[in-house]
Amino acid sequence: MIIGLKDGIKLIGVATVCFCAAFVCTLFFNYYIDASAISGEIGEEVKILYDAQITTAKVVCFVTGGVLCLTAVIMIIFYIKLYIDANAQKFGILKAMGYSNGKLARGFWVFGLSVFIGTAIGYGVGYAFMRIIYDELTIGDLQTVQIGFHAMSLITIVIAPTALFCALSCGYAYIAVRQSVSDLLSGHDGRKQKTGRVSVKRRSFLKDVCIAVLSQKKSVVFFIAFSAFCFSSMLQMGLSMDELSSVTMGLMILLIGVVMAVTALFMAATTAINVNKRNIAVMKAFGYSEVKRAAAVFGGYIPFAVLGFIIGTLYQYGFLKVMIDVAYSDIAFMPSYSFNVSAFFIALSAFIVTYTSAMLYFSYKLNTVSVKRIMEE
Amino acid sequence: MIVANNVCKSYNRRTVAALNDVSLEIADGEFSVILGASGSGKSTLLSVLSGLEKSDGGRIECCGQVISDMTEKQLTEFRRQYVGFVFQHYYLLGHLSVESNVRLGADLANNGDYTEVIKAVGLSDKIKCKPNELSGGEQQRVCIARAIAKNPKILFLDEPTGALDESIGRAVLDYISRLKSERGFTVVMVTHNANIADMADRVIGMNSGKIVSDKTNPDKKTAYEIGW
Repeated sequence: MIIGLKDGIKLIGVATVCFCAAFVCTLFFNYYIDASAISGEIGEEVKILYDAQITTAKVVCFVTGGVLCLTAVIMIIFYIKLYIDANAQKFGILKAMGYSNGKLARGFWVFGLSVFIGTAIGYGVGYAFMRIIYDELTIGDLQTVQIGFHAMSLITIVIAPTALFCALSCGYAYIAVRQSVSDLLSGHDGRKQKTGRVSVKRRSFLKDVCIAVLSQKKSVVFFIAFSAFCFSSMLQMGLSMDELSSVTMGLMILLIGVVMAVTALFMAATTAINVNKRNIAVMKAFGYSEVKRAAAVFGGYIPFAVLGFIIGTLYQYGFLKVMIDVAYSDIAFMPSYSFNVSAFFIALSAFIVTYTSAMLYFSYKLNTVSVKRIMEE
Repeated sequence: MIVANNVCKSYNRRTVAALNDVSLEIADGEFSVILGASGSGKSTLLSVLSGLEKSDGGRIECCGQVISDMTEKQLTEFRRQYVGFVFQHYYLLGHLSVESNVRLGADLANNGDYTEVIKAVGLSDKIKCKPNELSGGEQQRVCIARAIAKNPKILFLDEPTGALDESIGRAVLDYISRLKSERGFTVVMVTHNANIADMADRVIGMNSGKIVSDKTNPDKKTAYEIGW
């Protein structure tokens, strides 16, 4: 086996996102199936409310499942790219020996195992929480919906995504290993070489390092911004939910948001440290202070985190406004929605505290990089 | 047999010429050393002769196949059938045992008798060990076994002792020499160490992308007789 099982199942980020997706989709997809089964028994007086619940279940499934699935796709591609970059020479030697791109790519199916772990646990936990959510969704005179097991949901939420992600991993790996043997052996992707004009602007060394760090791994920039986006949008949405839906729903959204934000942030920051280990070690050897090293490696990401937070705020406001004013406009007693100022300030304070703490923690991690060990690698 | 005629190769949009009109012939079963300083083009020559890279111009025939005209897919098939590689860095798969690493090569040639190769490089007692449990010399011997397990017609080696100290380096060269005698494959080795050239049947000197000398070596020495 060219790629170890361990490599395939240690994608904590992918597993976490898949867990969240499977958890939410299990609850709402199952509710949708179970509630649809009693449509004939619903009286005219609660028909609108019933239809709204069915719509909610569908929308939540599609939106949450879709967004989280897309996130997992981006994450798995990110991991595979990192894995190939880190093991380029090994793939180079295998290609030199005569392994074809297809044969190498086939080994990447193991990356789909993280999806299986995440979705399987999410599916199980979803079932454990199902009664609570069913009760939450049973408003007023609506008939209680009985929980049923549906093989369809197991296939849709666990089996199909696992198979799709295994195939996606192999497909992406096939594209990623399609480099020349020499490029793989030398550890740089010849397809990426650009021979543009060299900037003659005079900048400080630290600013140059900062810019180089940002341009070296653009995917890290994306994940930092995405992390802030999740944190901002889900936190504010969760805090607004007690007025619009229920505390349980709010708590669920809030928790998923925080888990996703922390996962993405952790993944991005550890990647930033790993790809810059040599730069950090050289700066350390030359006597740059801890603060300057941290500023060079992480400083460039701050504007992107702030941007992610702003986009997240606007997104959640727009999303909730559309949902309340358009999708649920027919439903009686639905409260009107306006920008939740207190939720914004709570989210902003939490954002500053969390991201500053993360910055301090990862700066500490930078400090633990051993110059001797890195130089010996 | 390897026949190269007027081979050229350049990098960086053809601004840096690594090989400049190189022609040579290497006979079957010959032990050739390509000797040169860093940047002389010796590794590039090894890459184009073995089908790792395509040349920009000229014609290369290897094992009866014109590899200079091949597509990437055909080159992969060619390398699978005819060529074995050993590099300075071992690039073993860390999660696999010695046996599995060697099997990576053996499987390509449907060679079920790969344990015999492990025995030939003196690692029978370490067959279940992982690469991180082996010394540098042992890891390089696994690489040799991995390359030999494919039953190659030609073994290409790029500075195989570059990362090894003298005693381990000599032992590795001795294994290569003995395996070559037993199995009769052609060996093309790139090195900057002029002492290693004393082991070869033929020494091809390179400088600035050109062959500057080509000598046969009537007084071949063993790995333990050469200087270091």
